[in-house]
Amino acid sequence: MGRFTEYSVIGRTLPTENTPEPKLYRMRIFAPNEVVAKSRYWYYLRQLKKAKKANGEIVAINVIHEKKPLKVKNFAIWLRYDSRSGTHNMVKEFRALSRAEAVEAMYQDMAARHRARFRNVQILRVAEIEKKEDIRRPYIKQLLEPGLKFPLPHRRTKSKAWYAANRPVSGFHPIHSSHDYMLPGLKLVYPISNKMMNVLYWVNGLIKAVD
Amino acid sequence: MVQSTFKRFVEVGRVVLVNDGPSAGNLAVIVEIIDHNRALIDGPTTSVPRQAFPYRNLILTPYTLASLPRGAGNGAVKKAFEKAGVLEKWQSSGWAKKLAARQQRKNASDFDRFQIQLAKKSRRDDVRKAYIKEKKASA
Amino acid sequence: MARSKEIAPHVGRYSRSQVAAKRGLYKGKKTGTAPAKTESPAHTEKTVGGKGNGEKRLVPTNKASKYYPAEDVKKPKVSRKTVGKTALRASITPGTVLILLAGRFAGKRVVYLKQLDSGLLLVSGPFKINGVPLRRVSQAYVIATSTKVDISGVSVPETVNDAYFTKSKVAKGSKEGEFFGEGKEKKVFPEEKKSEQKSVDAALIASIKKVDNLAKYLKASWGLSKGDRFHELKF
Repeated sequence: MGRFTEYSVIGRTLPTENTPEPKLYRMRIFAPNEVVAKSRYWYYLRQLKKAKKANGEIVAINVIHEKKPLKVKNFAIWLRYDSRSGTHNMVKEFRALSRAEAVEAMYQDMAARHRARFRNVQILRVAEIEKKEDIRRPYIKQLLEPGLKFPLPHRRTKSKAWYAANRPVSGFHPIHSSHDYMLPGLKLVYPISNKMMNVLYWVNGLIKAVD
Repeated sequence: MVQSTFKRFVEVGRVVLVNDGPSAGNLAVIVEIIDHNRALIDGPTTSVPRQAFPYRNLILTPYTLASLPRGAGNGAVKKAFEKAGVLEKWQSSGWAKKLAARQQRKNASDFDRFQIQLAKKSRRDDVRKAYIKEKKASA
Repeated sequence: MARSKEIAPHVGRYSRSQVAAKRGLYKGKKTGTAPAKTESPAHTEKTVGGKGNGEKRLVPTNKASKYYPAEDVKKPKVSRKTVGKTALRASITPGTVLILLAGRFAGKRVVYLKQLDSGLLLVSGPFKINGVPLRRVSQAYVIATSTKVDISGVSVPETVNDAYFTKSKVAKGSKEGEFFGEGKEKKVFPEEKKSEQKSVDAALIASIKKVDNLAKYLKASWGLSKGDRFHELKF
């Protein structure tokens, strides 16, 4: 499913002689387009009420826009999904600029972690968490620490050359940056000279070449 | 002691160079960290609209706007940016000059390229003459 | 209405106002008088001999054809389209330095003077600088650079047109004679073409010399070398 939009869909059953003015039902639906939104509307309505598309009509469908699309918000999404062995309820938290963006991230996350498809996931509720204390998940909590900062250790630089003589390096390079280097798996920390580092790197390279 | 070798961090107030999209090549400021992949950036003085941007397409610069609050508004960012004089520092840096030179070279016309070739030729000639002169003097 | 051909029953292609504009009645009545037709009578009376023929008979002056085609042959519609002038690329304006890409002078940088009636570009080297004479080239075989030469002082004589570049036809000699090298005079470049070239180039060279290195630039030829990325080059 592509980029999501939040729709407000209003529909009802067709009027009959007994009920000339049937009740209107409104739903907020996240869908990539209006067609899917209407389809999901009827899917949910026929589960909740005695109504179906064959004898019903859509009265209105409108896009709900984010009120503040440039403010970073924390969202909680309550959902239920069908795994291969049963149905589960979940609450997930996302940091995003809009409700639709959070829902998109949720579907990606569900697909990645649980192999859940769009049709297997039903959104129960999407709400912004306004208070910091109400945040439950540590993966969101860690982003709210005051004075949060972190480096970008793994950078990929694009070469403009047609052919690269050397494989691009993107990781952490102690040779170029520092004398102090802790080898992975070593508890002892001691300064290693540049020369020694080069030897270590040479050995590493040999091992890699053998692999 | 183990010291961190990293000098530049993703943090609120970090000045970044946008490396992709319509505002590529312009400076912006990290206004808020969204998650471990994206940040909200803003560049009111450099015509970069406020937007979410992946770190993948940002380059961290050594400049920061200290004491910029998290999620600061457009005006506050502008004020802090101008107060810190980031743009002047950037423009006088070797990095920016190199980028500008590269851009200029890229936009050079056919005639410009020809004139560059002529200038290079004459420089080579001067060097060669000076070298021979020195060589003769020292011999 | 013939002009407003129907696109659907009772719906014309053009609106009433468009048809009126096309009919052009607002231009007024035609004033010229058509030349008087000398009318010849459709029939002439002839006396006919023979008893039962009634002595006289009306004979049409123009006999109707005896032949009728068995089927109606459709006449092809006459096209009223005319060939317009070739549109030039926006980057080619008088004075633009062009790079020739094909032909004898491929790789040469030349100055564009004007567009000829055939749509081809009239260019000049100038001849004295890089050996390219007044010449016609198609814009398809040319790179337009952003460099412009001021050619406000250059006037191209009227004689330099498409006819100027056509080859003069030479009467063919006998094959045998050709074989023995007879009647083969070396073609002499006409004097007037030489002088025309000179007159055009004189002003052109004067304005080229005003810009540093421009003459050198026109003299050098263009080519791609290793590492040049054509799609990223700007001209």
